[in-house]
Amino acid sequence: MLSTLIFLQLLGAAVVGFYPSAISGKLARFISLSFAIANFLWTVFLVIQFNPVESGQQLTETLPWIDALGLNYSLGIDGLSLPLLVLNGLLICLAICSSDQDIQRPKFYYSLILLLSAGVTGAFLAQNLLLFFLFYELELIPLYLLIAIWGGQKRGYAATKFLIYTAFSGIAILASFLGMVWLSRSSSFSLEDLHLSALPLTTQLLLLGGILVGFGIKIPLIPFHTWLPDAHVEASTPISVLLAGILLKLGTYGLLRFGMNLLPTAWAYLAPWLAVWAVISVLYGASCAIAQTDMKKMVAYSSVGHMGYILLAAAAATPLSVLGCVMQMVSHGLISALLFLLVGIVYKKTGSRDLEVLRGLLNPQRGLPIVGSMMILGVMASAGTPGMVGFISEFIVFRGSFPVFPVQTLLSMIGTGLTAVYFLILVNRAFFGRLSAQVIDLPRVYWSEQTPALILALLILFFGIQPNWLIHWSQPTIAAMVYTPNLLATSSSGKDLQQNLETPDIHIKIHQSHF
Amino acid sequence: MLTTQDKLSNYLLIEFVQRLQTGEALLKDSTENVLEVVGILKSYGIVLDAYSQNLMYIAEHQFLQFFPFFKYFNGDVSWKKLFRHIWHNRINFEYAEYCLKSMMWHGGGGLDAYLDSNEFQAIAQAVIAAKFKNNPLVNILNQLFPDALTEQLRVSAYYSGLGQFWRVMSDIFLDLSDRYDQGKITSIPQIVDLIKAGLVSNALNPITYSIKIDGKVWEILPKSVGLTFLPDTAVPYVEAVFFRGTPFLGVVSYNAQAYQIPPDQSRFQYGALYADPLPIGSAGIPPTLLMQDMRHYLPEYLHKIYRNSRRGEDDLLIQICLSFQKSMFCVTTATILGLLPYPLDTQDISEQQANRMNLEKWMKRLQNSQLLEINK
Repeated sequence: MLSTLIFLQLLGAAVVGFYPSAISGKLARFISLSFAIANFLWTVFLVIQFNPVESGQQLTETLPWIDALGLNYSLGIDGLSLPLLVLNGLLICLAICSSDQDIQRPKFYYSLILLLSAGVTGAFLAQNLLLFFLFYELELIPLYLLIAIWGGQKRGYAATKFLIYTAFSGIAILASFLGMVWLSRSSSFSLEDLHLSALPLTTQLLLLGGILVGFGIKIPLIPFHTWLPDAHVEASTPISVLLAGILLKLGTYGLLRFGMNLLPTAWAYLAPWLAVWAVISVLYGASCAIAQTDMKKMVAYSSVGHMGYILLAAAAATPLSVLGCVMQMVSHGLISALLFLLVGIVYKKTGSRDLEVLRGLLNPQRGLPIVGSMMILGVMASAGTPGMVGFISEFIVFRGSFPVFPVQTLLSMIGTGLTAVYFLILVNRAFFGRLSAQVIDLPRVYWSEQTPALILALLILFFGIQPNWLIHWSQPTIAAMVYTPNLLATSSSGKDLQQNLETPDIHIKIHQSHF
Repeated sequence: MLTTQDKLSNYLLIEFVQRLQTGEALLKDSTENVLEVVGILKSYGIVLDAYSQNLMYIAEHQFLQFFPFFKYFNGDVSWKKLFRHIWHNRINFEYAEYCLKSMMWHGGGGLDAYLDSNEFQAIAQAVIAAKFKNNPLVNILNQLFPDALTEQLRVSAYYSGLGQFWRVMSDIFLDLSDRYDQGKITSIPQIVDLIKAGLVSNALNPITYSIKIDGKVWEILPKSVGLTFLPDTAVPYVEAVFFRGTPFLGVVSYNAQAYQIPPDQSRFQYGALYADPLPIGSAGIPPTLLMQDMRHYLPEYLHKIYRNSRRGEDDLLIQICLSFQKSMFCVTTATILGLLPYPLDTQDISEQQANRMNLEKWMKRLQNSQLLEINK
């Protein structure tokens, strides 16, 4: 059942890519959208099949592949991957919808998007480290090409930078995965065969370092973030939507799945530093966003800041904070996708993203009133205004993290205030006031162009009012992940752990002392 | 010190003065402009007709009514009309009242002067006494606050004055449209000439206002006062609505405490000729209401142009406002030329000089207007 998700998209990529004759952009979009919708519907079917009470992997599929390497084709789904899978299915549909129907080389473009989606889906489903890595690397190639071919003026630079960074990310992750298997003398790369708790803390820290750097680049966290603003600015709107909406989540998913979950002792040891790292990411991202005059760059830096919340919550590793991680991933996926879609429409209609040029776009007749209204909704959601999904996720993150890292949490909360600052700057400059002379005669925005954004806006409102519909899928999985003896040790000070550096079962002692 | 802006303004001033002296209009002559101006004036003429009828109805039948709930119904109150009114599928008669209040506020002309005279006050008190002869409470209140009801009658007189003015203007604009349809109007100067001719031919029309109480007719603005169309309603209207306007009642408002409003009302520049069509509403009288009314009566040839524009009907109100502003500059041209101290084609040098000075005065007032924008 899970394989259908991957193979349906691979089939779609093949059908569009190898279509026997030249086809119009419209037809290519229709075919790929059909496959994307089928994929999304299948995801919804899986959601119905999914038992939210169970905490472990469900609907698992395992096939031997290359036994000598310890690589098997093992898929599964749990409360951590399910929301991201649904998000991916939705965003792929919306990205295809928002693609220009007159795009150059449509067969190649749409097949790459479906290939990208297949890679992301596979990565979320993989229950084997090597299989995850293969899917993780698989999505890099289409993404690189999508930026390099259909990007803006400096697309070559941005795509190459993205490739170099993510190549390093891949190397770090692969090194850690190999280390995990070899050092733990595991028989395969299968997640269920890995028993890393017996490894000394120093070894675990080393392995976790690779994971943090690898996925830290992908998220991205300071100082590995510099590829992101360039990639966003140069990527076309649908690619930015996918990049911010789902691809960055591969990084946070990897951190939770392979960092926090597999190396809990080291995670607990590093947690205070991770929280500090999160604070730096949040504040630096927000500060950089304030300084931007390019709307897209501002939203990109906003992503850097908001992904920091996920690291903070993951570092705290309380049931509530990790639930906040999942919520923030979904929330950020929806909000950032919405913001990038809207910035894309603004750019398409005005030819500019410059906040020094754009003014008064909320003008009800000559401006972009619906786009502007959704932008206001999006920035409010991003700034954590109650009633929208951004508030729920950030509140859970802060509420869950505060008992463990009160100072870091409070500092991160400043980031929420700064989000309001830079997004108010954006809205105030670009949307309020009198329409500037440069954009006084804008073409009309068609419903087909703003419907994807409208869907996201409605979801942001819906999950803001009814977050339980999102939360209850993940709660048992999160509880099972967090209620391990290892992670409960997170709340202890690093000093205690330092003293027991060579005692791998320190966490158990601390756990016992809790009760 | 002469700044670049001053030089530019002077240059433009000279250019437009020369244009007027040679018989051209403030709006440049082009086929598109002719079509836009005539088309918009046709819809404006229809709307003005409705405004005029309602103003006259209010003046004659709703005077000294404390709660004129159905003043916009012209005496025809029915459930159907009431629901239509609440649903807002109707003419925005409020716009006419905004214009009226603007006129009252700025004053000027013989009508305003007469309404401040003792003669009017005497008539007003007599009318009030007749109207409320069986109402001791109102009579006592009138004794205590004699200005209150008198002021209400002044407002009624303005209702009537503006109604009569718009009656004439509506006929002129509809006549213009008919002539255009017959192929007799092909240029902007012809439009200006026709409006000017209409203004001049009606210039001495008497402005009168009488009401009936218990079968007895009361002359509030008697013919003997000598109020006439052009100097006592048309000129004050142009001054109040086209030029000065009001720095409030719009989307953009101005802060008097921050010295954003000139202390001298004569220096106000919030009128229709200065209004920015982009922020729908702008300062002064909200043009939105008028634009909404005119959109129902656009002739097909003009509506087609709007539909085929870049935004289609998305920005219809702005497009109407832009066309309306063009047409108002034509009316202003007609007014300016009509008010010249000497004929435009005079050969007398001193008369030409006086004309030129007169035109320069007008053009100085238009320096901050939308004159350049409409000619782009």
